[in-house]
Formats: sequence, structure tokens, C-alpha cells
Amino acid sequence: MSQISTVNSVETARAQRMPSKQRQVSDIRIVQLFILPTIILLILMNIFPLIYSLYLSFTNYSVIADVPPQWVGLQNYQTILSDTRFWQNFATTGSYALVSVVFQTLIGFGLALLLREKFRGKGLITTLILVPMMLSPIVVAVFWKLMFNPSVGIFNYLLGYTNINTSPEWLGDANLALWAIVIVDVWMWSPFVMLLCLAGLSAIPEYLYEAASIDRASAWFQFRRITLPQVMPLLLIAVLFRTIEAFKQFDLAMGLTSGGPGDVTETVSIRLYKLAFQGQYDTGMSSALAYVILVVIIAVSNLYIRALNKARGS
Amino acid sequence: MATIHLNQVEKKFGDQFAVKPLDMTIHDGEFIVLLGPSGCGKTTTLRMISGLEAVTSGQILFGERDVTWLHPSERDIAFVFQFFALYSHLTARENIAFPLQAQGESRDMVKKRVNEVAKMLNIEHVLNSRPGSLSGGDQQRVALARALVRRPAAFLMDEPLGALDAEFRDTMRAEIKRLHIDQHATTVYVTHDQIEAMAMGDRIVVMSNAVVQQAATPTDVYHNPANIFVARFIGSPGMNLIPARYQGGVLYFDGGSVYTVPDDWKSTLAADLGSDGRVIVGFRPEAAQVSSEGQLVAKTYANDLHGGYTMLHLELDKDQIVHIRTNRETSYNIGDLVHFDVNPTMVRFFHPETEMALTKRDNRS
Amino acid sequence: MATQSAPPPSRTPVNYSTRVDKVGWRPQAGSIVRTIVAVIIAFIMLLPVIWMGMTAFKSLPDAVSVPPKVFFTPTLEGFVNLFTQRRQLSDAEMEAYRARDDLNWAQDIVLERQQTIIGRSQFAQQLTNSVIIAGSSTILSVVFGVLAAYAFSRFNIPGKDDLLFFILSQRMLPAVVVTVPIFLMYKQIGLYDTHLGMILLYTSFNLSFSVWLLKGFIDEIPKEYEEAALVDGYTRLQAFRKIVLPQAVTGIAATTVFSAIFSWNEYAFALMLTQERARTAPPSIPLILGTGGIEWSTIAAGSMAFLIPVVIVTFALRKHLLRGVTFGAIRKG
Repeated sequence: MSQISTVNSVETARAQRMPSKQRQVSDIRIVQLFILPTIILLILMNIFPLIYSLYLSFTNYSVIADVPPQWVGLQNYQTILSDTRFWQNFATTGSYALVSVVFQTLIGFGLALLLREKFRGKGLITTLILVPMMLSPIVVAVFWKLMFNPSVGIFNYLLGYTNINTSPEWLGDANLALWAIVIVDVWMWSPFVMLLCLAGLSAIPEYLYEAASIDRASAWFQFRRITLPQVMPLLLIAVLFRTIEAFKQFDLAMGLTSGGPGDVTETVSIRLYKLAFQGQYDTGMSSALAYVILVVIIAVSNLYIRALNKARGS
Repeated sequence: MATIHLNQVEKKFGDQFAVKPLDMTIHDGEFIVLLGPSGCGKTTTLRMISGLEAVTSGQILFGERDVTWLHPSERDIAFVFQFFALYSHLTARENIAFPLQAQGESRDMVKKRVNEVAKMLNIEHVLNSRPGSLSGGDQQRVALARALVRRPAAFLMDEPLGALDAEFRDTMRAEIKRLHIDQHATTVYVTHDQIEAMAMGDRIVVMSNAVVQQAATPTDVYHNPANIFVARFIGSPGMNLIPARYQGGVLYFDGGSVYTVPDDWKSTLAADLGSDGRVIVGFRPEAAQVSSEGQLVAKTYANDLHGGYTMLHLELDKDQIVHIRTNRETSYNIGDLVHFDVNPTMVRFFHPETEMALTKRDNRS
Repeated sequence: MATQSAPPPSRTPVNYSTRVDKVGWRPQAGSIVRTIVAVIIAFIMLLPVIWMGMTAFKSLPDAVSVPPKVFFTPTLEGFVNLFTQRRQLSDAEMEAYRARDDLNWAQDIVLERQQTIIGRSQFAQQLTNSVIIAGSSTILSVVFGVLAAYAFSRFNIPGKDDLLFFILSQRMLPAVVVTVPIFLMYKQIGLYDTHLGMILLYTSFNLSFSVWLLKGFIDEIPKEYEEAALVDGYTRLQAFRKIVLPQAVTGIAATTVFSAIFSWNEYAFALMLTQERARTAPPSIPLILGTGGIEWSTIAAGSMAFLIPVVIVTFALRKHLLRGVTFGAIRKG
């Protein structure tokens, strides 16, 4: 019970006021009270649904059918793992995540290196750059949809395509659609990576560079031995965060292409949505898919956290 | 090895002077200490010598070479930073080897020199560790080794002991001084700790407010401070500085004490003071002696028993505390009146307005 | 007559290093280059937003003109269309309407497109729903979050690390994964398409981030302050209220802004768990597309109406945002 540690010296001081046992008890009360709402919400909205979902994944239940759930064992999982379209979804999501995060990291880090010294208007620029990531992704998708329009959108116009016939169809061309989503994602989130890197860069003490310059160290050495190691932890946090978010991609893709054309940009989240809330409303199958996604995400996160700890520790 | 000359070297940031025009010569093989409170310009001066700060005007010469606009790496100097500035991802050995490798020395030569220097500083056993796992003292030794390994023309050190625990500081102080003696290297050392400066320097340059207050040997700076700032800054506690009025060979203190001025000072005081005769009298705690026939009298304010000696704090007058060092191991009661004298060869005088020390007329040519 | 050592001369900060090799015209030029690059970047970042803003005030033909129009006559047509339901007028009715002089400015505008207003659209209601749901869930998640964060920070709770990780891991799941069972649950207990249902869900989703973020901020407040208060006779609750909370204000502000923005922007849950009564703006905005052809100026107006509060908040509270976005990495004010 005395897992709750308090300041023992304080107890003696207040011994006259209140018996120490009583104060320990009231402390425990407070702790319980303070975490109670969080725990309750957690159980109701997270744990219970996860368990319920697990159960449903072994059934063939459909929300719209008036039939109670029937046990089908691992059938749903087998279907998922043998369906090429599911594998395609994972491949699409994975390649999207990889490409998008790589670009965000390169651009964000590059910008941070470029803009780390003070200059006129740095504060204002930093604020302005913050705006895109604060916007609702679905709304961002909607107005990029207009911008990507091959006939009236300004994206192609700015790129120099004035002839409607040669203008690339960013959202309609199966080869370009995923790139379109990548472009928007990179536009939104490169500043995030930049900000984190800037925070890391600004914490590097100047005397490290001064010592290096006295030792006649090359600019590359200074980058590799001073800049990079100091920035690495924050950079990795940024990459980890953005990768997890990329795997969850739903809003942007839904808004821009709804998974199309065909299923070229169908991420796992979109597929899951369509499975559960459109067509057959296949609750059982979608629960199984949800669990598969869960396992994949946990695996990927673990890999990343391990890499992060390793980079931090050394 | 080289003599370093600073000619009218000045540093401004915007309109503010960090270092007012300064002339200084550092002799070959000398251990010179730049001493002063924070913000006085000592670190900026050191950084200008190193090239980490560009001068706003003036000239810096190493021997015959004008290095004023040379890159730090071209001046043949080594710099030791307060916070070590070691590369955390390299081992101690790699850190020390680095400057030599950058110069393109052969692998054998590098290995030999690193081992030599590590032996000198007793850090052979930590050579394969990373700086992060070393104590502060060892980290600073590695930083010193890195500085030594190139055998530069001059060593520049910016408060190298500032980040160390007290016990390390004493040890390292002795080690740095010993290294200097062994290497005969010109060393410019910055500190705000006057005890360090007194212990280590061949010469001390006392600075305050961007201006050099005095540049002299420790003995000189201690016994013949050039002005009130130096008198107060050097020594712990600093020199006692008491205002008084001089008239007809006698000093009149507030609080009633009267002191007969030594003969060799009389003509100086008569000539160099203003018509009101105001003067500041200075003497160190050990220059005073408790004596029942002492001319000066004050009330006991506090006693600090240090075992081998006692630091007596006496109240000469309201707000004027005098510190006297006695050999007695017993103390006086608070409020007791104590008579004391000041050794006539150790008394000093300062002008109340200019704050400069008065020099005896007989010594002037 | 004591001589005091003067206070250190204050240094006017220099924007560039004054190292020997860095003095000269180069640093000045470098600063200018940097400013130019930064301005270009900022422009690229803002161009879509600015373009959308302009589109919101264009007439429909202007909005889809080829080549894209930079100079145009602004009109409130998009906004009027956004907030109203209209029907097409026949040519005969047009004559009658043109003759009238009791039409307000909004009706005048739609008349240009041969339409008349027949009622309010649902957008205003949806915006209101967004405000209610986002506001309530933010308040709840910050309040519960601060309490839980304090408990986790100051006490050794059994299984603390695992619990914290579990709480945080909620953020890693795609929304869809959690929604399927909650959809069933809500349907059965009647929380589907209700404000309460959405508020509960948003609160719990925000809690995971806010507990983690707030714990980080509270960890930074030295325990000694509370301990001093306890010695002085305060109860722990009082110490929490009088000492910890005031010190945690900036952290709380950062967390609040974050939770608010997340709830405001949320799309997936709203799409799947609301229909009409509790529907918020995000799921509705893409659907504006469907009303009789693509009315880009209306969509832009809807987007703007939805984005403006966020842009204002971003500017007003940028310091708090910066702290939160970088997970507390940026410390200075």
C-alpha cells in the first residue's frame, strides 16, 4: 500500500497537526481520484472496444444484417492474408509512408540547417510556417483538389502547363495520384520536422564549433561529429512521429482521391473504412483487418523506438 | 614559442566597448593571467588573441608575424575551453589525436605523441573511454592533452577550472602550472578567481570595465596595487580602505583615531592631496598589529577563528569595518575596544577622486 | 567611499559570429540570402491557403477561370451559397424578382445566378456543433489530463510506466480501428450521432496526448515548492492548486491549444459516428462539392470559415504552440 512515496521529513513537521498515517491515506485518495476519470475513459473508449473488436474479428457479423454474430474462427484472418488487394493496401501505405517521411525529413532538416542563424523576420516566418500543419487535413485535401485540377487548378499553371491536353492529371492518373498525396503531406509537415531540428540545432553550444575550427576540422567533420549527433534525438522523434502518422493516413487520402483512381491510393485505413461502413458493412472482417493493422503498427513502432533509444544512448 | 604583442587592440559590439584600446606584451614562455570580474573584457581579449573574435581595430603580432586577420587554425595556438569542448562521440584517444590527424601527421607519429601526452597527464587509463563517462577533472585533462599534443606556440585557457569541483580545482591548478614549467610554453590564462591568479601567474593583468587596471607580478599587484579596484579585488579579504583627513603630518579618521604618518610619505601627501586633505588609507589585514599602544582604536564587531589565526573585524566608525589578522587563538568580546597599529612600510594611500595609488615622491625620478 | 565594481557592460547582441573568418561583407550577404530563402519558403507554405482565401471571395466563373485570375472583383457569393439553400428560378419568375425592391443584399447576390433563397443550409449548425464538441472535449481532456499528469508525476503508481505507455499508444492507432466497435457500442446505447457521444470520444482520444504532454511539463516544476507548502501546513490539494497549477500554466496553455485544434480538425470519427444532429463541419465540407456541380467558391468559403479560427489561434498563441509542437523542446518564450 505504501507504494505512494511522500516526503518523510514533512511528516515529522506535521506530526502534531495530523497523524502521519492519515496523511498517507489521504494522499492515496487523491491519487486515486486524480487518475480515476482518465482510467475510466480509457477502459470505456479504448480497452473495451479493443476487446469487443477482437471478439467480433472471429465472427461474420454485419451491422446492417439483423442476425446476431456467428463464430467463424480464423476465417476472416485467412481471407485477409490471402487477398492480394489487402497486400496491395499494405504496400501502398508502406511506400507512401516511406517516400513521404523521407522527403519531409530531407526538406525539413535541410531548411533547419539553412535557417538556423538569426536573420530579419525569423520569428514571423516561423509562425507562418506553422500554419499548414494546424489545418484540418480534410479541408487541406479539398483545396488542394482544386489546385490539382488539370484544367482550372493553379498547380499545373505554376509548373508551366498551359495546354489542357498535356496537363498532368494529378488525381486522376494512376501513376501520379499517390505522388499528389505525398506532395500535400510533405507541404503540410516539413515545417514540423524543421521546427524540431531547429530546436535541436539551437541547443548546440558554439564552443564545440570553435574548438573544431581551431583544430582545423573540415566542415563535413563538424557536421558529422558535432551537428548530427546533437540533432539526432529530435530528428528521430520527428521521423518516428511522422511515420506513425503516415501509416494512419486517412483524411488526406479520403479527401483527395477516396482511394482512387481504382484502388491505387487506397491506404489500409481507407480500405478498413470502406469495409466497415460501405457496401456489405462487414463488421467481422473489418475487425479482423483492424487487428492486423494494429499488430503491424505495434511492430513498426517497436522497431523505431528501439532504434531511437539506441541513437539516444550512444 | 613566441612573444605576443597587442597594439592598441580594441573590441566593440555595436557602440559598446568590450575592450578599450589596449597595449600588452606577453613574453616568450611567460604564464600571464588575465584577471577580473565577469564582463571586464578578459575573455574577449583572450578570444581576440586566438582569432575567435575579430578585433574592431588594432594589431596582434606573434613574434614578427601579423596574425590579426589569420584564422584561428593558422595562428599555431591551442585553446582550452571552460566546458572542455570534447567530441562526445570520439574516445579520449581519438579526441587527443584529432589535431595531429588534421595536420596530416603519420599514424605512428600520432600514436607516439598521444601516448606521450597521456602519460604526462596521467590519463593513460581513460584513453579508450568516451568523454561522457569521465569525471570533470579527467575531461579537462583530456582537453589539456589535446592542446599539448600539437606543441603550439601559445596556450590560451579560458577559465579551465571553472566547471570543476573544488577538490579538482586545487589539483588541476598545480598540474597546469607544472606543465607550464616543463613545457616552457607561453600561456595566457583567463580567470575571475584572484587566488588562482596569484598562485599561477608570472604576471597578472587585472582588468575591469574593458580597461587594464594594472599589469604586474603577483607580488607587485598584492603589495603595490595601482588603484582602489586592484587593492580591493586582490586578496581575501581585500585591502582595508579607510577614508581619512590629512593635516600637518597626521591622519584624522572618523571615529576619533589619529595616526602619525611615516616620514617618507609626508611630502607626497602634502603635495598630492586636495586642499581638504581627504585621502583613502589602505593596508592589508596582516599589515595591522594589535597593540595596547596602538594609535588606532576600534570596537570589536566579529571574530573569525581559523585555527592558526583569527580574522578580527573591527568597527572603526559607523559602516567602516576593518579586517585585521592576528595570531591569537582567542577572540575578543563583541564591543570590546581594540588598539592596533599599522606597519609603516605596508601602508598605502589612494587619491579619493581618481582612486589611483599615490606614489612616494622620493621614488620618482 | 567604497568603490563598487561597475555592472558588466551589456553587450549589444550581434546577429552573426564575429570570428576572424566570419567578419566582412559575407555575413551580411548571408543574412540577406537567408531572409530571401525564408520568404520564398513561407510563400510556398502559404500560397495554397492564400489562394483558397481568394477563391472564397470570387464569383464562380472567376474561381474556375483559365488562366487563374489574380485580380478579380470580390464578392460574397460563396459565403451566401454556403449558408443558404437555394432553388433555381424559371425565366418567368426572374422577371418578377427583378422588379422587386425589397430584396436584401444576400438575395441580390443569388439573383445574379438566377436563384432565390429558400432557407438556411445546415452549415451554420455544423459549425456550431464543431464549437460545442471541440470546446467541451478540450476542457474535459485538459482538466482530467492535468489531474492524471500530476498524479503520475509526483507519485509512484504501480505499473506507472506501462500505464503511461499504454495511454500514449492510443495515439498510434488509426481512428478507423477504434471506430468500428465504438460504432456498435454507440448504436446500442443510443450515443450514435449525439453531442455527448462525440465529446466522450474526443476527450478520451485527446487525453492520451495531453496526459503525456502535461506530465512532461509538470515534471519540470521542482517538487521543493510543494514540499515547502506542505511544511507550511497546506494540504496536498491546496499545494496542487496554489503552487503547481500556476507554474504549469504555459504547459496547460500549450496542451489546450493542441487538444482544441485536434478536436476542431477531426474528420474520421465525425464521419463515421455522426449523421445529422451532431455532425461537425469537417465531414460536411467535402460534400459541398455535390450540390449541383462543383461550386468551388462555396467550398472555398466553407474552408475559410472553418480555417480562420485556427489561423487566428495559431498566430495569437504561437509561443504555446511552438512549445507543444516540439514536445517541449523549444523552451524560450
